[in-house]
Amino acid sequence: MTEPLQLDRRSFLKLAAAGITALAGMRIIQRAQATGPTAEGLHQWAMVIDQSKCTGCGYCNMACKAHNDISPDISWTEVIDVGKVGEKMIFIARPCMQCAHAPCVDVCPVQASYYRPDGIVMMNYDRCIGCRYCQVACPYGARSFNWEQFTGPNPAVPEWGQPEVPRRPRGVVEKCSFCYQRIDRGLALGLTPGVDAVATPACVVACPVGARTFGDLNDAASDVSKLLSNSVSFCLREDLGTAPRIYYLPASSEVRS
Amino acid sequence: MKNRWKSIAISPWIAWVGFLSIVILAGLIAGLFVIWKGLSVTNLTDLVPWGLWITVDLSAIAMSAGAFSLCAVVYLLGLKRYQPVARTATFIGLIGYTMALLSLLLDIGRPDRFWHALVYWNSHSLLWEVTMCVMLYLMVLLLESMPIFARFEWLQSRWPKLAKKMSRVHHYAPILAIIGLGLSMLHQSSLGAVYGVLKARPIWYRPDISVLFIISAVAAGMALTVFVSMLSARLTKRVQVDDALLERVSFFVGWILVGYLYFRFWDALSMTYTYDPGRTEGLNLLLSGPLAFNFWVGEMLLGILVPMVLLLNSRTRTNPFWRMAAMLLVVGGVVAYRWDTNLSGLLIVLSYLPGAPVVNYTHYVPSFIEVISAAGIVGYGTLALSLGVRYLRIVDHRDIDALEHPQKTATAALIPNGD
Repeated sequence: MTEPLQLDRRSFLKLAAAGITALAGMRIIQRAQATGPTAEGLHQWAMVIDQSKCTGCGYCNMACKAHNDISPDISWTEVIDVGKVGEKMIFIARPCMQCAHAPCVDVCPVQASYYRPDGIVMMNYDRCIGCRYCQVACPYGARSFNWEQFTGPNPAVPEWGQPEVPRRPRGVVEKCSFCYQRIDRGLALGLTPGVDAVATPACVVACPVGARTFGDLNDAASDVSKLLSNSVSFCLREDLGTAPRIYYLPASSEVRS
Repeated sequence: MKNRWKSIAISPWIAWVGFLSIVILAGLIAGLFVIWKGLSVTNLTDLVPWGLWITVDLSAIAMSAGAFSLCAVVYLLGLKRYQPVARTATFIGLIGYTMALLSLLLDIGRPDRFWHALVYWNSHSLLWEVTMCVMLYLMVLLLESMPIFARFEWLQSRWPKLAKKMSRVHHYAPILAIIGLGLSMLHQSSLGAVYGVLKARPIWYRPDISVLFIISAVAAGMALTVFVSMLSARLTKRVQVDDALLERVSFFVGWILVGYLYFRFWDALSMTYTYDPGRTEGLNLLLSGPLAFNFWVGEMLLGILVPMVLLLNSRTRTNPFWRMAAMLLVVGGVVAYRWDTNLSGLLIVLSYLPGAPVVNYTHYVPSFIEVISAAGIVGYGTLALSLGVRYLRIVDHRDIDALEHPQKTATAALIPNGD
């Protein structure tokens, strides 16, 4: 370092550093504001689960395991015993909440979790690096890591259905996808998800008591829209601002969210 | 350690390298086993997906913070006499970041896809930002280390022109220091923010965690640099240190600890007010639960208070033993902080069901394979530092100009000892 140059260079470098930092900061803040739910598509899928009907039989979980070819170690839609109201046992089925402001999408370093225009929070299993940050970030415990490769026969097949999607490899995180494969295939065939069974998530179809309803929030005539406008509903951990697309109808009229 | 070496017939150096090689070999076998068998051989679960390896990763990066902070001191604040200390820190940084990459490679479920973060950007993800900064900063460290590698005698005799070119990278040191400062400020803090932005984990969800991470990292980075320098000087006569420089850096570390304690105090105190589901339980894990010993003894008493007193008191600071002890304690305290931060959030399972929030606890103890592979990574870092001290003279406070610009040797004056 030669002496006469020192001051000039130093002040230049200072300026450059300040400029770069400011630019980077602006860019990050811009991105932060821009990242949210993507522009809404034609459909906005949602599910309503009626706790007053749910008997905790777990058929939904079994159908899910078969249709999505899930390892017996993993549940995409766990059914949790939450106690009693009067004499009646109350359960909560917990699929992925398909949040409109999903913490998992925010934190995924490689955009392996992303929003579909129809609101489904999707996993790109070919891109996931298995860092498990999404698992740490998800408030609902809806994500499972494939600690081992699922090999061998699926005990839920064929009794509960046939696999419709490939098995996930070892080392990636997986979760409920709202049976996007059934929705997409159904729409391609001109069917209506939520009305036609083959276009509707397997758990909804399998439920023996009709506790689950699926449909399009953009369609005011859909069953979910009607249920939500006519009854009291709640979402899990609404205080977190995640805006889930799974709505629950309380077990009894006295229970309010 | 010295005494044990003396009792062995083979030279202490060979014994040391042999010992580290065994640790590395064991770690390598364990690592390959993990890659082969997958993460099911760990004690990690869906509830505690991050454990020992993430602590190694965070600690290695924290201990590398001496590089950017001391380079900033030398090239941006213009305190040129600390340059030899900054060089040691730079090499430690280079090794630390490679250690972090190794532990991340083990930790991710798909190590074959490690490059995805560089290609598929989610610039909203702090983990993405950390990955990019770490990769870019690793390149800065490589460039900054070029003059260090140029000192390798074998290289100098074999490819003198290359060695000369490598040592000339030194001229870009101020620019590299600025880039390094920017990148490090970003990702050292962001590593805290990786935890701090998660609303699902109330004990983490606060902005100060990123500030605490960078302050503690600077303390640990400088502390490890001073410790490595002093230990090297004690173990071999080849290493000459200017103790006055190290003493000044130590004094500075003492003051950083004051600032660090100040922020930790207000950070912790504010969390003790009002019951907040998940956060209060997480804090209780630290204050009175299974992490309490780590917190009170490891982080607070031995990690901050004792070294702070030892380093601010001139009598203990000028005593090599107490200074080295203090430095080691600072490093240990920061490792404990990283471990505790990770687990205080993950051991709490906060229910998402309606009604009053229910808090459950889970537990985590690393598996044998996790420990061995982590030891292998630490062994690799230690071996790399040892080789650096011996062959690259990363700790060398003698006439720097003469060593880095051999053509000027004749005219270069000796740096006077002390200030």
